Formats: sequence, C-alpha cells, structure tokens
Amino acid sequence: MRGIQLKNLKKSFGATQVIRDVSLTIEDGEFCVFVGPSGCGKSTLLRIIAGLETVDSGSITINDRDVTALEPYDRGLSMVFQSYALYPHMTVRDNIAFALSTAKMPKAEIATKVAEAARMLQLGPLLDRKPAALSGGQRQRVAIGRAIVREPAAFLFDEPLSNLDAALRVDTRAEIAALHRQIAATMIYVTHDQIEAMTLADRIVVLNAGQIMQVGSPRDLYERPANTFVAQFLGTPKMNLMAALAENGQVRLAGGGVLPAPAPQGLAQIGLRPEHLNFCAPGEGQVQGQVAMVEYHGPTLSVAVDAGVDGKVMAFAAPGVAVRAGEPVGLRLDPTALHLFDASGQRL
Amino acid sequence: MTLRWIVFFVVAVVINFPIISTLITAFKSPAEVARNPSLWIEAPTLANFVTVLTVSDRLNIYQYLLNSVVAASIGAILPLFLCFPIAWAMARRGYGAGLLFPLIVNLRALPLIIFAIPLYVMYSAIGLLDTKLGLGLILAVVNLPLALMLLVNAVAELPIELEEAARMDGARLPRLLVKVVLPLCRPAFVTTFVFGFITAWNEFLFGLMLTTQAAVPVTVGASFFFATSGGGVQWGVAAAVMVVAALPPLVLGLIMYRRITGSMVAGAVKG
Repeated sequence: MRGIQLKNLKKSFGATQVIRDVSLTIEDGEFCVFVGPSGCGKSTLLRIIAGLETVDSGSITINDRDVTALEPYDRGLSMVFQSYALYPHMTVRDNIAFALSTAKMPKAEIATKVAEAARMLQLGPLLDRKPAALSGGQRQRVAIGRAIVREPAAFLFDEPLSNLDAALRVDTRAEIAALHRQIAATMIYVTHDQIEAMTLADRIVVLNAGQIMQVGSPRDLYERPANTFVAQFLGTPKMNLMAALAENGQVRLAGGGVLPAPAPQGLAQIGLRPEHLNFCAPGEGQVQGQVAMVEYHGPTLSVAVDAGVDGKVMAFAAPGVAVRAGEPVGLRLDPTALHLFDASGQRL
Repeated sequence: MTLRWIVFFVVAVVINFPIISTLITAFKSPAEVARNPSLWIEAPTLANFVTVLTVSDRLNIYQYLLNSVVAASIGAILPLFLCFPIAWAMARRGYGAGLLFPLIVNLRALPLIIFAIPLYVMYSAIGLLDTKLGLGLILAVVNLPLALMLLVNAVAELPIELEEAARMDGARLPRLLVKVVLPLCRPAFVTTFVFGFITAWNEFLFGLMLTTQAAVPVTVGASFFFATSGGGVQWGVAAAVMVVAALPPLVLGLIMYRRITGSMVAGAVKG
C-alpha cells in the first residue's frame, strides 16, 4: 500500500511522553496537516517520520517499506524547515542541487532539474545569489525548491510560513497549495495556525498532548468536532461552550434558557459557533448578558458578551448593528447548529 | 578630542615600548647602542640585518626560519585534522564531552617541562630527535587543547537544522562534515590555525631540547646570534634577529585577520 502508515508510535524525552500511541495512515498524494497547540507533539511526530528523531516503539512504513530504523537519508523524504536551513556558503543553485549532487546525478541532469525547479518557483534570477542576499520569502522558496527537486516519496513541512510576515504568508500558502495541485505528491504539513490547516489540508490531524484528537477533512472537523478540544481549537473566535442539561427532551442552559433541540442523556455542555448566535433585545432569546467588548473586523463585529452563569459568549454582528460595551443584550441561539458534548467533552 | 588622541598615542607607545625599542636597536651600530639608549637613532645602519641575513659556517637564519615554518605548520595544521571530527562528535553526539573534553583542555594548564624527559627518551628511540617532523608533532600536541576548544565551540554554535537539512538531502556523515560543517567552521579553522601557528612559532623549550642542528627553530637559532663574536651580547644583532624572527607570524596574523572575524552562517536560518 502506497502512502505513509504510522503504527502505535510512542516517544518520550526523559520522563515526558511527547507522542502517546499514535497510529495514522496518510494516503498517497494526500495533503495532511498536523495541527495543535505548542508542545502538542506535532513537530516531534513530523521529525519521527523524517527520521530526525527515533521512536521508543511503533513502526513507520513508507510505500510498503518499513523505515522505522532507517536514517533520514534512506527514507526518500524531503523536508522544509521552519528556519529555512539553507546552506549559507552555497549559492541558491548549489542549495537546490545539493541533494542531487549527493545522489551523484549527472551534472547535465542536475542543471535541468534545478532550472525546472527555479522556473516553477520563480527563482531564476536568484540562482547565483547566496542566502544572505535573499528576503525571507525568497529563502523559503529556495527551501521548497531544494525539497521538490528530489522528487521525494513525500514532502514534510515544519511550520514553513511562521517566519514570514502576514501578507507573504498568504501568498506562500497559495503557492504551496498550487504546488501540491501541480505535483500531486504526498505532503505532511505541521502548523499551529488553524487558517493554514483549514485552507491547505485534504485532511487535518488535530493533536493534543501527544495524542490524536481527531482526523478528518477541514469541513468535518469544523462542523462535527469529536470533542470540545477540537471544537475550540478550530475557528476564530473559538466555539462557545455553555453548561447545559437534557430536560424533557430539550436543552436547558445553566442560565435558564431552553432550546428546542433534541438532547440525549448525558448532555453536559453545548457548543455553538459565534456565527450561530444572533443579537436581540434584552429579555428575548435564550441568553441574557452585557456587552463586554466589541472588536471591529471590517465585514463583522466580534462581540464578547458577559452572560453570567452561561459564561463569556462570543458572537458576530453585522457592522451596522449598534452594540456598545456595557449595554444589556439578548442572544438568540440557532438550535440547528448545536454541538452536544458529555461531561468528559466527547461529542454525543 | 585632541586630548583623547594624545592619550591614545601615549598608551600605544607605552604598551608597544618593547617592540619599538627592539626595532630601533636593530638599526643602531654596537657603538651607538652602548652610547645612546634613547629612541632616537643618530646613524641608522643595516649592518645588524646584514649580519643576521648572512649565512656563516655556524649560523644560518634561513635554515632556522625554514625549520620553524615547517614545524609550526605541522604544529598548527595537524590539530585541525585531528580535532575537527572529534569536535563534531563531542558537540553533536556528546562523546567525551563530560570527561575527555575537560581533560584535554586542561592539558593546556600543565607546564610543558613535564613532558620533557619521557619525550626525549621516546624521540631518541624512534629517531625523531632533531627532525622538523618530531618538533612539529610535539607542537601539535601543545596546540591540541586550544584547537579542540575552538572547534567544539564552533560546531556547537552552528544551527543544527543545517545538518538535519543535509541529512534529509541524503548526505551521510562524511559528506555532511566536508560539505556543510567544515565550510561553516572556516573562521574557527583560521583562528585555530593562526593561534596555533603563532604558539608553535614562539615555542622555545622543545626546540631547545629536541633539536641540535638540522631542525633548530628560529627561536632557538636566534639565541645563537646574541654573542656572535664572543665576549658580550651583541644587542644590535640580537634585536635584528628578533625582528626577522617576529615578522612571519606578524604577517600571517595581518593577512588572516579579516578571515578570523567573519561569520559564515548569515542567511542560513531565520535569526
């Protein structure tokens, strides 16, 4: 079976277990994004696949070949590092050609491949420069060029955009997506940025504390999060969680509001995204509170409402809606958009 | 501002007084050295340099210089080859970093005379006495601690991502070391070479002990000039030979200065 299979991977640094029994299959040609908060083990997992870290137990198979004990150079993978990691004493041309000359490829073939990569990444005029004479975006493109020129079994990206400024990040993100469409190679991409994850991934793997929380398409994860961690990790502002109970087949909030939605036994909290709350007059709707903060985002207002026992609730409003900090408001919750969770945070 | 420059000038003269004094003495005749101890030369002469640079039956400054160049080169270059792989293993794999590294570095603190007797016996047994190679080898040992210390620090300061990138690019250890680590450690190599060469050039004890004729280095050979015509010390000739002996490492230091201070990793990783 082509693609990458991870089976029961475990890894500890000293007494700290950073990867806890991770199993995952990444399909051939898939763009798979590992996402999670800092310290969740996503970069370690990528480095384990690369061979830059060893595992305590478990196995890694790439295109039917067990590579668990192999060195990085025997795994046939390419990696783009967060810090670019360009060879500073070599020109762009030599940086891109390094892997090929290491593989003792004929010089004419190397020149052809370097030229092709340079054309694809618009690096042609920069080939004779050293990395110190390049901008951050150009350096990252060289790093990508160095990876694609080898035609590897899979590409590994370790937070490749996190050192770029916001505008360049959007552009480079689009370039990476285009590159994936163009070469249709397997790509594993690590980021802590959920926008990158949502926009690039065929499938997202959400990690927390060394464990996989959920694997699925961006839409799956956003619309059907498996637990409160995934629910709150994806989406900005994060999903609102409110304590709730099942009562007479309906959902009753801690603050007394009742939602006409079927509520299974074991319900302990509901989740609702900010776009599924609508402002209404005080006393109306299911949640009552006071506006704590209003942020103007251009197309929307992001409003924080202090809703007493229902907690702090985030909601979007149209820019024309008159909401001011300190004002009492009511919030109408969309009962069709509810996410129901039990006391342990698992989806019901 | 003027006062500041005056202070700079005075301090520079005071600090460099021995060098200035030696340089001036080298251009004085023996009679003037005895009569005029000031820094002013009444009748400049090159006679002392002519004496030094003239080959005689007993003295050959060119041979001494050649011996020193060869021995100091061995003493400066050999530790680079020996220490580079060790430095990588210590910095990256931690081999010997706990015990061997401090042990070797502390060799520097030992008085070299400790090695004198066993070394003489050993050199005598294997035919290395009075050879440039023999002198160079012990000078390499003298330079080893400094070389190891500088190279371990240089390797440790390189971003590890560069080595990881090279490993991902298919480079096994030898290629990784030669194509990536070594070029990036170039400033440390140059520094180690220059300091090692100067240390080896100035070494006197082993030159005196292990050489007699064929491999006499310039430090020992220079002392032969001090009393060339019997009687008292020929200060003018002594000063001239010191100037000649000091020139090669001085020129080397000046040539290599720019390469010592440069950094090699600009643009490698996001800083």
